Amino acid sequence: MSVLDTLKSLIGGAKKDIDKNLTKEAESVEEAADSIQTSSEEEIEIKSDSETISEEEPLEAEAPAEEEIIVPVEEEEAPEEEAEEEVEAEEAPVEEEAVEEAVEEVPEEEVSLDEEEESTDDKLSEDEESLEVAVEEVAEEEASEENEESDNMTLLKENDIYSMDDIDKEFTQKFVDAGIETVDHCFQCGTCGGGCPSGRRTPYRVRQIVRKCLLGLREEVVSDPALWMCTTCYTCQERCPRSVKIVDIIKMARNEAAKAGYMADSHKATGSYVIKFGHGVPINDKTKDLRKAIGLDELPPTVHSHPEALEEIQKICTACEFDKLIGFNMETGELE
Amino acid sequence: MEIAYFLGCIMNNRYPGIEKATRILFDKLDIELKDMEGASCCPAPGVFGSFDQTTWATIAARNLAIAEEMGADIMTECNGCFGSLRECDHLLKENPAKKDEINAILAETTDKQYKGETKVRHMAEILYNDVGLDKLSEMFTKDLGINVAVHYGCHFLKPTAEVGIEESAENPTILDELVEITGAKSVPYKNKMMCCGAGGGLRARDIDVTLSYTKEKLDAMAEAGVDAIVEVCPFCHLQFDVGQTEVNAKYGTDFAFPVMHLAQLYGLAMGLSAEELTFDAQLIDAAPVLEKLA
Repeated sequence: MSVLDTLKSLIGGAKKDIDKNLTKEAESVEEAADSIQTSSEEEIEIKSDSETISEEEPLEAEAPAEEEIIVPVEEEEAPEEEAEEEVEAEEAPVEEEAVEEAVEEVPEEEVSLDEEEESTDDKLSEDEESLEVAVEEVAEEEASEENEESDNMTLLKENDIYSMDDIDKEFTQKFVDAGIETVDHCFQCGTCGGGCPSGRRTPYRVRQIVRKCLLGLREEVVSDPALWMCTTCYTCQERCPRSVKIVDIIKMARNEAAKAGYMADSHKATGSYVIKFGHGVPINDKTKDLRKAIGLDELPPTVHSHPEALEEIQKICTACEFDKLIGFNMETGELE
Repeated sequence: MEIAYFLGCIMNNRYPGIEKATRILFDKLDIELKDMEGASCCPAPGVFGSFDQTTWATIAARNLAIAEEMGADIMTECNGCFGSLRECDHLLKENPAKKDEINAILAETTDKQYKGETKVRHMAEILYNDVGLDKLSEMFTKDLGINVAVHYGCHFLKPTAEVGIEESAENPTILDELVEITGAKSVPYKNKMMCCGAGGGLRARDIDVTLSYTKEKLDAMAEAGVDAIVEVCPFCHLQFDVGQTEVNAKYGTDFAFPVMHLAQLYGLAMGLSAEELTFDAQLIDAAPVLEKLA
C-alpha cells in the first residue's frame, strides 16, 4: 500500500499541479463573475446581460482544443457589444475588462498543463465545464463548492493507477549493471526537458522517461514511440545538476525496446546496410565517379576495398545476434 | 607525426571533397595520414548504440584495434564517428567486464583485440591544439571575406565531462577561432549550439521532426544574414545540404546556404577549386558564394 501511495504521489505529482491550476482558473473566473455580480446589483438590466453571456457560453465551450480557449473569449465580446446597446452603455466596459482579465490568466496556466500533462484534453473539457458552471451560478456559488469540483478531478481513474504488476525491478537493474547507476540520482528537477529541442516539438518527455526507468515501468518505456524522438544531442546531460547520464539511459531503454520488438522498419534497414556493406551509408556509383575525378581511389580503403573485413563485420553481427534482432536473413542477404 | 585516418561513411561515400581537402592540408602540414585498411562504419552512436550496445561496441572496438595495430592515434573529422569511437573507448576502459565480453566476441570473429592503446581525436581539435592557429594560417593563400554560421554539432564537444575539449558546450569558441583565421566571419545566431536534427536515428525514423529542427536552425541563420554554413560533421553536412532542400520542399521556403565542412573551407583558403572540393556535386549551389570570394 505504501509503495502504491509513493507511486501515486510521484507520478500523480503533475496531476496535483493541474488541480492547483484549475483552482486558480476557477478563482479567476469567479473574480470575473463577482464583478458581473457587483454591477448587476446596481442595475437590474445588467443581470439579463450576464444571462446573455451564460447562454452564449455553452456553444463556445464545446471547442475541445486548449488554444481555442482564448478564442471564445475574444468572440465573447461580440454578444456583449450587442447587449451593450440594450443595456446601459457605461456598464458594459467594466464587465469586458473583468472577463478579459480572468481569461488572460487561463492561457498562462495552460503552459504548465501543456508541458507536463498528456491527457490535457480530458482535463480541459472538465475545465471548461467548471468555467461554465462558474459563470452560470455566479451569484450563489460558494468557495467550498468550487473546491468540491476540483477535488473530483483528483480522483484517479482505474487505468491511471500503477500496480506492482507494472513494476519490473530487473529493468531498472539493467541500467545499474550497465554502469548507469546515476539513473538513481535524478531528483526530477526538469532541467533536462527544459533544454530539450525534441521536447518542444514532440511528445518526448525526457524527465518522465528517466523516472519510469528508475521505477521499472518497463512496458510503458519500451512501447512509447516518443522514446525514439531523441537525437542524442546531450543538451540535457550537459545541464543535469545531478550528472545523470541521461543519453546513456535513453540508449539503454531503446536497446530494451528493440529487444521487445519495437524497432522501426527504417532502422532495421539502416542496420541491414552495415551487415551487407559494412557501412550505414555505403558507396554508390555517383560517388565512385566523383572520387576518381578528384584523384582519390575509386573505393576508399575501408571494408569497401577489403572483402575479408566485411566478412568480419558479418561474423560480429551474427555472434551478437544482431541479424536476428533486426530480422536479417543471412542466407538470402535481405531483411525478412 | 603520424595518425590513423578514420574515414567513416558519409564523408568518403558522399562528400569526397572533404577527404580530398583534408589529405592536401595534412600533407602541407607534414602530418602523415595513414589509412586504416578494412575499417568499417564507426558504427553510428545514436543509431547502432540505440539498437544493441554489444554489437555497436564490438564493431567500434574492432576499428579501435586496427589503429592500435598501426601504433597510432585515430583522427576522424566526423562528430558521429568521433562520438562513437570515443564513447566505446571510454566504455571499455571504465567497464572491464564489458571489455572482456567484447574481446571474447572479437577473438571469436576476428584476429583483433582491443587493448585501449589508441586515443580517439577529432580533426578540429588536432588542428587547434597540435598544429595551432598561427601555423595553420601560413597554409592559406586566400582571404575568405564571407559571413558564416558556425555549427558545432552535438558529438564534437559533448558530453564535455568525458570529451574534455572545452569545459562547457554552452558557449565554446574553438571552432569559431578555427574558422576566423581564414578571414571568414563567424556570425552569432540564435540556437547556435542546437542539434541539426539528424542524429540518434531520428532522420531515418521521423523525417518531419528532423526537418523541423533543421528549419529552426536555418531560420535563425537567415535572420543573422550569413553566406554559408560551416560544420565539422559530414552527417550535419548532409542534413544541411540534402535536408535544406527537403525543408524548402516541405515548408515552401527558399533557403540556399552552401554547406562547408571545415576542411572544405580550408581548401578554399588554400586556393583549391570548387570541383576539387566537390562543391559542384552538393545539392545547394555554392557558386554564388564562391563568386563573392573571387
